[in-house]
Amino acid sequence: MEVFNKIAIANRGEVAVRIIRACQELGIETVLLHSEVDVNSIAYRMADETVCIGPAVTAESYLNIEANVQGAKSMGADAVHPGFGFLSENADFAKAVEDAGMVFIGPSPESIQLFGDKISAKKLVEKAGGPVIPGYQGEDQSLHRLLKEVEAIGYPCIVKAAAGGGGRGLKVIRKKEEAKEAIASAQREGLSAFGSDQVFLEKYLDQAKHIEMQIFGDAGGTIYCLGERECSIQRRHQKIIEEALSPALDEMLRQEMMDVAKKIATAAKYKGAGTIEFLLQKQEFFFLEMNTRLQVEHPVTEFVCGVDLVKAQILTAQGLSLGWQQEFTFHGHAIECRLYAEDPYQMGLPSTGRLGSCMWPHGPGRRFEVGFAPGDEITSFYDSMIAKVIVWDETRPRAIKKMRETLKQTVVFGVKTNIPFLLKILEHPEFVSGEMTTKFIESHFAKALKAPGVTDDVQKIIEDLYQKTGDSKVTEANTKMKEPNPFESSWERS
Amino acid sequence: MKEWTLEINGKKQKIFVEKLGGKLWYHLNGETGTFQPESKYGSGQSAKANTDPGVIVAPMPGKIIKINCQKGDVVTSGQSLVTMEAMKMEYALEVDIEGTIQEVLFNEGDQVGLGQKIVVVKGSSDGSEKN
Repeated sequence: MEVFNKIAIANRGEVAVRIIRACQELGIETVLLHSEVDVNSIAYRMADETVCIGPAVTAESYLNIEANVQGAKSMGADAVHPGFGFLSENADFAKAVEDAGMVFIGPSPESIQLFGDKISAKKLVEKAGGPVIPGYQGEDQSLHRLLKEVEAIGYPCIVKAAAGGGGRGLKVIRKKEEAKEAIASAQREGLSAFGSDQVFLEKYLDQAKHIEMQIFGDAGGTIYCLGERECSIQRRHQKIIEEALSPALDEMLRQEMMDVAKKIATAAKYKGAGTIEFLLQKQEFFFLEMNTRLQVEHPVTEFVCGVDLVKAQILTAQGLSLGWQQEFTFHGHAIECRLYAEDPYQMGLPSTGRLGSCMWPHGPGRRFEVGFAPGDEITSFYDSMIAKVIVWDETRPRAIKKMRETLKQTVVFGVKTNIPFLLKILEHPEFVSGEMTTKFIESHFAKALKAPGVTDDVQKIIEDLYQKTGDSKVTEANTKMKEPNPFESSWERS
Repeated sequence: MKEWTLEINGKKQKIFVEKLGGKLWYHLNGETGTFQPESKYGSGQSAKANTDPGVIVAPMPGKIIKINCQKGDVVTSGQSLVTMEAMKMEYALEVDIEGTIQEVLFNEGDQVGLGQKIVVVKGSSDGSEKN
């Protein structure tokens, strides 16, 4: 076993805070690798030590391998935790950390590479007996062959530039007549954007749920599966609400999917936290991708399994076995809502600015993962997620109710948040029934929410009251003294 | 932040209020809102939001990644003139009127601040209608 005295955190925001807490509880010192602007954050104030690794622009700071490795090394860190996003799934970074004599808290660079490549990942899954989305990614790119493959896959089918990530060069073919033009178009886009007209074909699942299995390989080589999360509530491939477990799976299907997930992780000799994403349509599931890192939505799994995934990651990196129960018993239901700094009445337009007072209404089964405190600046350089609200209760209906109440009592001043949008989703019949698919947002919330608009009366009352109670200059300090806020935990202001 | 209990339609409700940068923010009945106060307890500056539909302004700070029009172009209502990027997301800025592009004040790649004018469109019906 290797003992860590100091861990460097190559990330920011709420996940950096999450990792620092885990380190504190394990008695490990922390050094935060941060950009110039992120001195205004909770993680900066909480970390034992800090090193600036570059300017606000991510390419020069959070995505800069050399700066991160040097920063960690110069402070004498034994290990580096990459969090999620940024360099967390970058095999070169994992290797650079190891080459510098530190431990990368995550899977091996080989595992990251294996799952990072869509084709090698698919091959491994097929070898492990996992179902993959029917498709074609062969060398023969003749139109004749591609059209034949489209026929074999069936409709709807997607054609996509093989070289690109995300949705670039992706076309949906709904019927035979559309195939030729869609292929030509994807080839053109691929050629102009990535310099390659190579395309691949895939069955298009248009009524699918996003179900992902949390797996964990400990240092002793044991592979655990901690059940699933459902993340069907997405907007532009960005998850908004996640829950564990999924209301769509019965015991049999769950067991089957868990077995497949375990087989995939075992075949890769996987170590650390990982998530295997599937699309589930009409009781049929298909491998989507494997994320070789901690997920944003890991707290819902922690709630229903009773584990601490971040501490488990650190212990695993130190060479310790976890000794978890081989088969998890799941307790109750957990839901996570991501709080984005955006205007819910303008289709989620980012809202930036200095954060004013906040109230996080703590209570049983309520967890807040917050990265910024009053006075901190929310800038346009990074993802707009400023916090996560996670609740647990005995059943799904109770958890939904608890989430609604929690969000209604949550106050964030200074930047607009998506709370009104989240509340609308939480009361939508399709969400409540558990039948939602990944098309939920675009089918039900294609248009911006209508702003409620404060009445003139209420506006007048607020202004009058403000006038009566004194000067317009409200400092944080005297607000606190006059009206102590029982909801605020001490760390949020530390 | 100030906190009061109000009685609205016979129902007691807590309200939280805070003034930030000249605006009053409030939280009432599960909803957060913000407005520009009119009284002297307001900002004191009458920085009204741009309401001219012919002026495309940056709704947030960010980077201009694409300009889809040039001076002299005839545009129709709903047409996307500029694509901006902020917080890793792209946003299309659309024009609300028909008209001709009179001025394009920035280039692709430029960083713009909140409320900065990017494109000016001259309405095709005469200007008097706009206001």
